Parts: sequence; structure tokens; C-alpha cells
Amino acid sequence: MSESTSKPVLSIQDLVVEFKTEAGLIRALDGVSFEVQEGEALGIVGESGCGKSVTALSILKLIPSPPGRIAGGSIELDGVDVVAQPDDEMRKVRGQLASMIFQEPMTALNPVFTIGNQMVEIIRVHQKVSKAVAKKQAIEMLRTVNIESPEQRIDQYPHELSGGMRQRVMIAMALSCSPKLLIADEPTTALDVTVQAQVMEEISRLQREMNMGLILITHDLGVIAESCTRVVVMYCGKIIEMAETEELFRNPRHPYTRGLLDSIPRIREKKLETLPIIEGMVPDLANLPKGCRFADRCPKAEDHCRENEPPLEDTESGGKVACFIPN
Amino acid sequence: METLQFALRKLLYSIPLLFGVTFISFFLMVYHGPDLTYTILGKNPTPEQIAEVHRDLGYDQPFLKRYFLFLKEIITFDFGSSISSGEKVSSILKKSVPVSFMVALPAFILSNALGIILALYAANHRGKKNDKIIMVMAAGGMSVSFLMVVIAFQIMFCTSYGLVDWFPVQGWISPPPNYPDATTGEILYYYWYYYWSHVTVPTLASVFVALGYNTRFFRAVIVEELNKDYVRTARAYGVSNRKIMIKHVLKNAMIPISTRIIITIPFVIIAGNLVVEKFFGIPGVGLVTYDAITNGDLPIVKAVVTSTAVLYVIALILTDIVYKMIDPRTSYNQ
Ligand SMILES: Nc1ncnc2c1ncn2[C@@H]1O[C@H](COP(=O)(O)OP(=O)(O)O)[C@@H](O)[C@H]1O
Ligand code: SF4
Ligand SMILES: [Mg+2]
Repeated sequence: MSESTSKPVLSIQDLVVEFKTEAGLIRALDGVSFEVQEGEALGIVGESGCGKSVTALSILKLIPSPPGRIAGGSIELDGVDVVAQPDDEMRKVRGQLASMIFQEPMTALNPVFTIGNQMVEIIRVHQKVSKAVAKKQAIEMLRTVNIESPEQRIDQYPHELSGGMRQRVMIAMALSCSPKLLIADEPTTALDVTVQAQVMEEISRLQREMNMGLILITHDLGVIAESCTRVVVMYCGKIIEMAETEELFRNPRHPYTRGLLDSIPRIREKKLETLPIIEGMVPDLANLPKGCRFADRCPKAEDHCRENEPPLEDTESGGKVACFIPN
Repeated sequence: METLQFALRKLLYSIPLLFGVTFISFFLMVYHGPDLTYTILGKNPTPEQIAEVHRDLGYDQPFLKRYFLFLKEIITFDFGSSISSGEKVSSILKKSVPVSFMVALPAFILSNALGIILALYAANHRGKKNDKIIMVMAAGGMSVSFLMVVIAFQIMFCTSYGLVDWFPVQGWISPPPNYPDATTGEILYYYWYYYWSHVTVPTLASVFVALGYNTRFFRAVIVEELNKDYVRTARAYGVSNRKIMIKHVLKNAMIPISTRIIITIPFVIIAGNLVVEKFFGIPGVGLVTYDAITNGDLPIVKAVVTSTAVLYVIALILTDIVYKMIDPRTSYNQ
């Protein structure tokens, strides 16, 4: 599977996450397994609602509960058994071992505290340092993410910064305790097209320099091509394909992946909100079809597909695919 | 300095509002209020007598002129004298407002402080058993009538039929008996003792009734804050739940909470104490107003209603100032 020399910083096995909703109990994740090696950049793609954020939040045990809960499987984060960890122990892991950047730089920072106040707080959660020392570290961190005149910026409030700047602040916060794994959940989706590339470049550069594991979540395969070595494709709470990035782009095995690749130009034009990536509707998690979850939208679907669920199986090129009739 | 400028500017902007409020008060009370002609003349007066009284009372003046006279009364805070006692309205208020303030203050502080604490606790355990218990009790407190609570508490704490017979049912602090050699300490103790003996039961009753409303409102605000993204961010970086609640969430929640608290002040001081002061026989503005309404003592009613309205406008300005102090997104220059 993966190179025997590196060891995984994250290992997820058969993860099941359930939510109690008005429509009944739904499985937002249904048997998800993957690993991230030290210093590796892994991309997760899939349409909105397929479980990308739930995966990310599970790793830090941040699933809102109620209504959600980790109903099965295991998550091992640098030797820490996340599922079994009590919440106050998890607190030390968050931001320290693994850290996260969120999609909405507008709302993800607290509007009534300065960014310095928020950064110092996080540094002091994990390190026994004085406020003054923490502030120096925070300023250094802002410099690291290429924020100009960080000495002034640090005393500003989030609303005084642009979207791109705010996302850089988020990155600085996330990296302030040198985590081994950075989870970036659609870090550029909410940004102007012009700053998207800059912010993405920043994340990739820091990932290499700090030799962190990276999970980059996006619905834009184009972004992944530039920054990840491996890709996980999700659909309806399941992994349906997993491969080296190059291999995936050259030879997508799952019909859904093929569809995603074809849609890259459209995503780039920012028409995603109005147009579905692929024709047809994503099935309702509360009301899943019996067989392959993609069957209703799949051009290759056969009767067999509607009766049975395809398992995730190894491909000859070293990846995995869940399809009875892969390319 | 910025705050002061802002306050002055707000005050300036609120002049039209003040005119509106006073105009409506005038229209309702002075123009459509009780006609004193018949109170003075009794039944069956002659048209000449009526005309004369109208002239004396200024009823024959044109509408606008009467309104400006009313405005003059407000600005000089000279509403004339009480019809029933002949005492100057301003001196009646000077005596009764501080009493109302003293009676309302402990309940005001307690019902808000306890409300915030309970709301924080409930919101932190939202959906769980203790949250449900608090919310059911709050709803219970809200559904009981204030009058019933007052009577029940009086029986419970002020009579031998209740739990304890520790407090007087009615009354207020009287001046200390004149011992020539009483020390300052003894006099202070006297005031302290009688203050609490008269204020404890009204406070308990008021808190009982207000706490439910406050807790429900505050909890809703806090729960809304808890669902904001910044809470998830803080959590994702390892900030403790305690700090998230007390620092991050509370400061944001204080924006709507402080607005509501300040807005209630005019009613708490002036009008809100009607029931408490009537039933506990406390000589505050509430009691004065109650008596004035029942006796048709227009000068007092005018003064109270107008002061409430003006205080309300001032409270609105105050909320804007506090809002800007808490929320850096709004600047003083808006
Ligand atoms: N707080 C929640 N309450 C109920 N259901 C949720 C919640 N969060 C996520 N879900 C369910 O999990 C599914 C996956 O959500 P998510 O991981 O956020 O999707 P995305 O891939 O767009 O990030 C959603 O379709 C929804 O049904
Ligand atoms: S299993 Fe069948 S329906 Fe599902 S993706 Fe493959 S071909 Fe399409
Ligand atoms: Mg998402």
C-alpha cells in the first residue's frame, strides 16, 4: 500500500459517524478508512454533503454531539486513540498534534477579540509561556505566513482584515504550535479567485517546510492536482476511489471521479453553486438506494449495480476503487 | 472623549424622537385625559362658570400653545402641584424615585446576574437533563402571575401561617429614633437592618418572576452564539470549554443581553414597581403613580409618563454606547 519506510501520522479504520436528524438516523460516514503519512499531502474531494467536513471534524473529535456521534471504527492520530480519548485529553491534541483551517474566514474568527488576543490564547493553551512571549511568537507566525507589518496587524480585529488576510491569520493560528497534521477544510472556497492561489501556495509551502501531514479538503480537483500526492474521492459517506494524484488524473477508475475531472473547468468558473458537478441528484442519506449509491447518476450502471453495493477493492495500479465496472 | 461625542450626537439625533414621544404623551393624557372642569364645579354648572374654569385651566388655548406649555413643564421639570395633596410634583418625585431605585436594585441585579449564570449553565448543557429542568422551571416561573407570587411570598415569609415570620408585610424605613448618643455605626446599622427587612421579600418575589424571562432570553442568545463558527475554531485549537463559554461566547452574547438589560431600566425604576410598591406599601414612584391614576391626579401621571418616555430614550442611547464598547465592528463614527 504505502511506502514501508514512512509511518502514518493518521490512520483511520472503518470509521462510522451517525447523526440523529428529523428524517431519522443517518450515516454521514459509513466505513471510511485511509492513512496519512508523515509529511504527506492527501486530498479529499467530493460534492457538497458527501462527508468531507465530518471526516475532518472526526479526526479532532469535534463532531457536534448531540446530534452526531462516532458510532464505530478507529482513529489513530500519532499514536493517540482519538475515539477513546476523553474530551479534556483531546484538548491537548487539538492545535498541537493536529490542527485545522476552516472554510469561512469571515466567521471563523471571534469578531470581538483582536487576532493577537486569539493567537496568544491558543499558544498559551499548549505552551507554558508568558503573554509577552506568546505575542512575540504570534507576530513571528504572522510573518511566516507573509502578513505584512505583523506588529500592527496583531492588534487589529478580524473585520479590519481582508478575506485572504484572515485566512492567513487562520493558517498562522493553526500552525502556531507546529502540528504534525494540518487539516484544511476548503481553505480557499470562500476567497476571491485571485487570492485563492496565493493562500493555497502558502499552505503548500508551509507544509513542505514544516514537514507536516496535510489533508486538503476541496470539491475542486484542480486545487488538489497542484498540492497533493494522493487523493481520496468520497461519495455519500463512503470512499469510492483512492489513488496517487497523477494516476487518478491520468486514469480515473470510478465513473464519478471521471465526472469530477470533467467538471474542473466549470468549477474554475465558479458556477458550482448553480450547476451540479454531475447530472442527477445525490441520494438522500436518510433514504439510500440498495445497491451502488452512484447508480442513479452513473452512465454505466447495470441491474447488478442496483442490487449490490460494490466493495472498495485494490486496483492493479496501487489504488482502490469501489465499482463493479471500473475503467 | 469619543464616547462623549458619540453620546451627544446620539442625543441630538434623538430630539425628533423625544418630540414624538412627548407629543403622543401630551395628546393622550392632556387632550384626552380627565377633564377637571366638572371635578371643580360639580354637577350642573352654568355655561359662564364652565368658560371661566376653562380659561383658568388654559383649556381654551389653541392646541399648539398647550403643547408648548407642556414642553415647558417638561424642560423645567415643573408639572405643578398634586391635585390631591397640593405638594409639588417635583418634590414628590424627588422623594419617591430614590425609594423605588433602592427597592428595585437588588432584584434587578440578582435577576440579571442569576439569569446569565443559569443561562450559561443551561446552554452549556443544552439538550441534556439539567438544561431541561432549568427551562421547565423558567417556563413555570413565567406562567405564574406576579400578584399571586407576591401574595404567596408574603404568606410564606411574613406571616405565622407560612414558613417563617421574619419580615414585615408592608412598610418602609422610618427615620431612626432620636437617641442623642447613637453612634454613626448604630445609625448605619439601623438603616441596613430595616432596608433588608423591607426589601428582601419584594426582591425574592421580583426575582422569582423575572428570572424565568431573563434565563430563557439569555439562554437563547447564548445558544445562538454557541453555534457560531468561531466557537468551533476555538475548540479546534484546544481552547477549554470553560474559556469558550466565559470569554468567547459571553462577550458576544453580552451585545444583545446588555441591550435588553439597559432597556428595562426605565420601567424597573419608574413604572415597573407598581405592583410591588402597592402590595408592600412602599412609598416609591410606583405607589405614587398607582394612587395618582386611581385619583385622576393628572400632574403626577403626566410627570411619570413623560419621565419614563424620556428615560427610555436615554436608555436607548446608552444601549448604543455599550453596544459600541463591546463590538469593535461598529465604530463611533457611524
Ligand atoms: N450537525 C449536523 N447535524 C446533522 N447532520 C449533519 C451535521 N453535520 C453533517 N451532517 C450530515 O453529514 C453529511 C455530510 O456533511 P459534511 O461532512 O459537512 O459534507 P461536506 O462533504 O460538504 O463537507 C451532511 O449531508 C449531513 O447529512
Ligand atoms: S458500480 Fe455500477 S453504478 Fe456504481 S459506479 Fe460502478 S458502474 Fe456505476
Ligand atoms: Mg464541508
